[in-house]
Amino acid sequence: MSEFCSCGSGLRTLRCCGLDPQALPGEAAAALLDPQGNEATRLFNERKYEQAEALALNVLDAAPNNRLALRVLHEIRKAQKRGPAAEALGARLAGLPGPGAVRAQANGQFVQYLVAQGRHGEALPFAAAAVKAAPKDANAHHVMAVTLTETNDLLAGERHYRRALQLLGQEDGLVLANLAWNLKLQGRLDEAAALYQRALALRADNRRALGGAAQVEFARGNRDNALKLLDDALAGGDEDRSLRLLRAMGDVHGGAPAAALERLGAPEPLLAPELLLRGQALERLGRHAEALAHFAMARRLQRERGGQVFDPAPLEARLAGHKAYFTGERTQPLPRAGGAPVQPVFLLGFARAGTGLLEQMLAQVPGIVAGDEAYPAAALAGEVTRFAGGAANYPEALDELLVGDGALIPDQLRALYLARRARRGLLRGEAKFITDRGGETVWHLGLVKLLFPEAPVIHVLRHPYDLMLSNLAQDRKLEANAQVGLPALARYFELWSEMLRHYRAQLTLRYLPVRYEELVADPRGQLARVAAFIGAAGELPDEAVLRANEARLPDPRPAHAALRAPLHGRGVGRYKAYQRVAPDLFTEIRDRLTPWLAEQGYEEGFDV
Amino acid sequence: MSESAEPAAKPAPPPGTQVMPLSEALEKLARLEQDNKLAEADDLARRMLAAMPEHPHILHLAGIVSYRLGRLEEAVERMEAAQRIAPEVALYPRNMCEVYRGAGRLEEAVAAGRRAVELAPQDSRALFNLSLIHYERLELDEAVRAAEAAIALDPDYPEAHFEKAEALLLAGRLKEGWESYEWRFRLKQAEGMLPKTDKPQWDGSALPPGRLLVIGDQGFGDCIQFGRLIPWVALLCPQPVLACSGDLVPILRQLPGIGKIVTRWEDTGDYDAYIPLSGLPRLYGLTTENIPPAGYLAPPEALVREWGEKLERLAPRGKKRIGLVWAGRPTHKNDKKRTLKLTQFAPLFARDDVVVLTVQKGDQIAQVGGYYGQAPLVNLGPEIADFIDTMAILKNIDRLVTIDTSVAHVAGAIGVPASVVLPKAPDWRWLLEREDSPWYPSLKLYRQTIAYEWADVIERVVADL
Repeated sequence: MSEFCSCGSGLRTLRCCGLDPQALPGEAAAALLDPQGNEATRLFNERKYEQAEALALNVLDAAPNNRLALRVLHEIRKAQKRGPAAEALGARLAGLPGPGAVRAQANGQFVQYLVAQGRHGEALPFAAAAVKAAPKDANAHHVMAVTLTETNDLLAGERHYRRALQLLGQEDGLVLANLAWNLKLQGRLDEAAALYQRALALRADNRRALGGAAQVEFARGNRDNALKLLDDALAGGDEDRSLRLLRAMGDVHGGAPAAALERLGAPEPLLAPELLLRGQALERLGRHAEALAHFAMARRLQRERGGQVFDPAPLEARLAGHKAYFTGERTQPLPRAGGAPVQPVFLLGFARAGTGLLEQMLAQVPGIVAGDEAYPAAALAGEVTRFAGGAANYPEALDELLVGDGALIPDQLRALYLARRARRGLLRGEAKFITDRGGETVWHLGLVKLLFPEAPVIHVLRHPYDLMLSNLAQDRKLEANAQVGLPALARYFELWSEMLRHYRAQLTLRYLPVRYEELVADPRGQLARVAAFIGAAGELPDEAVLRANEARLPDPRPAHAALRAPLHGRGVGRYKAYQRVAPDLFTEIRDRLTPWLAEQGYEEGFDV
Repeated sequence: MSESAEPAAKPAPPPGTQVMPLSEALEKLARLEQDNKLAEADDLARRMLAAMPEHPHILHLAGIVSYRLGRLEEAVERMEAAQRIAPEVALYPRNMCEVYRGAGRLEEAVAAGRRAVELAPQDSRALFNLSLIHYERLELDEAVRAAEAAIALDPDYPEAHFEKAEALLLAGRLKEGWESYEWRFRLKQAEGMLPKTDKPQWDGSALPPGRLLVIGDQGFGDCIQFGRLIPWVALLCPQPVLACSGDLVPILRQLPGIGKIVTRWEDTGDYDAYIPLSGLPRLYGLTTENIPPAGYLAPPEALVREWGEKLERLAPRGKKRIGLVWAGRPTHKNDKKRTLKLTQFAPLFARDDVVVLTVQKGDQIAQVGGYYGQAPLVNLGPEIADFIDTMAILKNIDRLVTIDTSVAHVAGAIGVPASVVLPKAPDWRWLLEREDSPWYPSLKLYRQTIAYEWADVIERVVADL
């Protein structure tokens, strides 16, 4: 075995990942080496990295808990992109004892390191440690707010943003813009717009605020305002790519795809999101071969440079585990929650199937509130183990429901769900039904059955080939990184569909399939069908209103409202146009998808 | 002679190949098939056919293996080839008769059956097979005659007696039929249905209370159907002990006059005589004219209310509630004939004025996972704990659509309207041609006009809803 730690820190294992905390020198003893630590810091600041590294390694060999040396080595390894080492050192640094402010700073920096990699969930405990170490530190609350917001705990995130502002005692553009983004995610668009104004009043070139404000204006239906914000920013010579991308999106969704192409420029230096948007613009222009090439190029970039790899193993394990647990035989004796004052309506669909469109339509029916993905029921799966006393992991922890007060757990979880949604402002007076568009619902229908035994489950179906292409074209991250290519998407679709098929066979669900194709062809008829199935008695909007799809929705508004457009049939059977220019497009995934096409009542058609 | 001269004429088998004499290989193939080692048999058959593609007995045995593996077309092809090569071997048409029957090719089946009898008039098996195919073709007099001819050759041939019984019963000749029906306990598959006892079978005379053991011997449907005779039994032998499967206890408990119910032989206690439920019609002298009326079972009111409320929440309002059962127990001898696929009810699913409530249980329930019809479908199976739940659900629907399975009997026994789809040659209890059932007035029968063809049957059912 090598003497050096496998994380790549350059320290000996016993001074790194294998160290014995009991054998560490005391704080005072470790501080004796602070002069050397300071020296290493000085060398680092003077960019004498080799010397700084050598000194830091020596200091840490004697005192692995010397904060100064640890920070130097952490920064060097981070700059060297030696991930495991940087991470091990950063985590150790965050865990060192010391004054609150110092601990808060160490944890905050490590949070930023994780957040930069999109690892918000892992960052949460460190962000929490920072707040605990320095409860009056505005930055600690800000960092906490960011991680909570990014892990979709929006209300808690909002609380920490507001606390940060309070502690700062003055307006801060970054915190204001971040808080506004949080509110935008909550669908509280009017409040978000006001906050953006405050942020922009401080600094008119606050790009984060500009981008956010434009998105909020799009979502509020103020398209012209949004475009003006972006145009003004870009006219000022701002080369910000994200603002340019937003503006190009405005072009595409506004029916000016050629303008988007011009704005984005040649494909070669573009990033994946820009390439994908360019592809969408090309599709609108009927240049399907080029569009396809753009999608392929973007996905290749994400795979090869972004390191995005499709990894179905966790989903496969989840599928197998849930199939084994949620059998009719095993689920039937489990206690169920009682009736609820408002009925959730679960909108289920593979990514890009059209659940957003259906939710926009349902939100126009009196008594139905669009809950979008706000605290979805599927998230309660993560709470089951805690409620069940931690005896087993989910779903096996559900066995505790059979014992003693375990029978109360479904009601408790249901109450938690409703309370969370109430805090998000969804349980408005007139609400009889609240939609739940949680992206992971399909995996947790077994739990949904226990908590809402008779809740309607509306499944939006769409031609699988159209689903594949739509997902290929969108800059949206899917579970297991399934967005990286058609084979990955097809496998993901298969796993997703298999899970649903299992639940439908093993559970008594109040289930209704609705086809996207019929939804856009006959919106009022389909809406009436769904409303009748749900039991919603309110008056339906006129056909023309549904087709225009611009009726004002009350706050909180679902996030997808930002992309609302008049109903169109462009997305129906569009795979045929691609197949015409790329006859082998589906060859690799045909065997996988054909049985599902047959089962779901779709055919593989060709335009001739 | 040089060492290499002799083998050159006959190349040595490739290394690792075993050479087996033909007779031994044929014997092995037959044994593998009989022992249900079908994958091994299939492999051996394939290798033997590769070596001797024109050998009639290899072709014949290979065909049987294909048949057992569900590859009907291949089975027919192989067995027809065997028959062409050796047209005088009686065994071939005898088995072909059964394979054609399985493939629904009834014309060819009866021709093969007749040919087998012609080639081997003394072969009782050939006559039995011919009787089976006549039953399938609803040529009941011929079926009885062929069975009787088989019995004449082999009087101790339970299958032939039973086949004769089924033909007589289906023809409505119940009294004669019950006599032959007594042979059912001599069938191989009936082993273990009756207790090991030296006590006599009940002869219909009076016995003291609790001294008669009644046995729920056949399938669930039979027990529900014949259960109506228990009150009559109780008049002669009060409080008879009933031994039956646990699933039937909640249902049969409802019958008046019954004593204790047990689910294990060791719990029966002492008794003076026993009688299987299916033996009661004979003792009762049951004909189509004296069947005790239906309505002898009923679910508890509270449970009916509970399910009613549940269905109000689960099923959309304003639509006809249609219950549905599409598959039977796969181990039933006629399951292939009676079971459908869920998708075959497509005309029902296309209706927008119905909600389909499936009361299907068992593995076939998995088909619900692939249902994407227009009509909403609620899969109630996972919530059904027992037959009492099924009864309570049926009391809350407008009509049941079902194949010939126990749920049809449950619906009939509680007087719920039901459409029962039947194969061309149905089980004897549904008799011939009629649309009603003397056993269950609430049922309407929809019969196949062409064997194994369901499309028009389902169309008719749905048109009548």
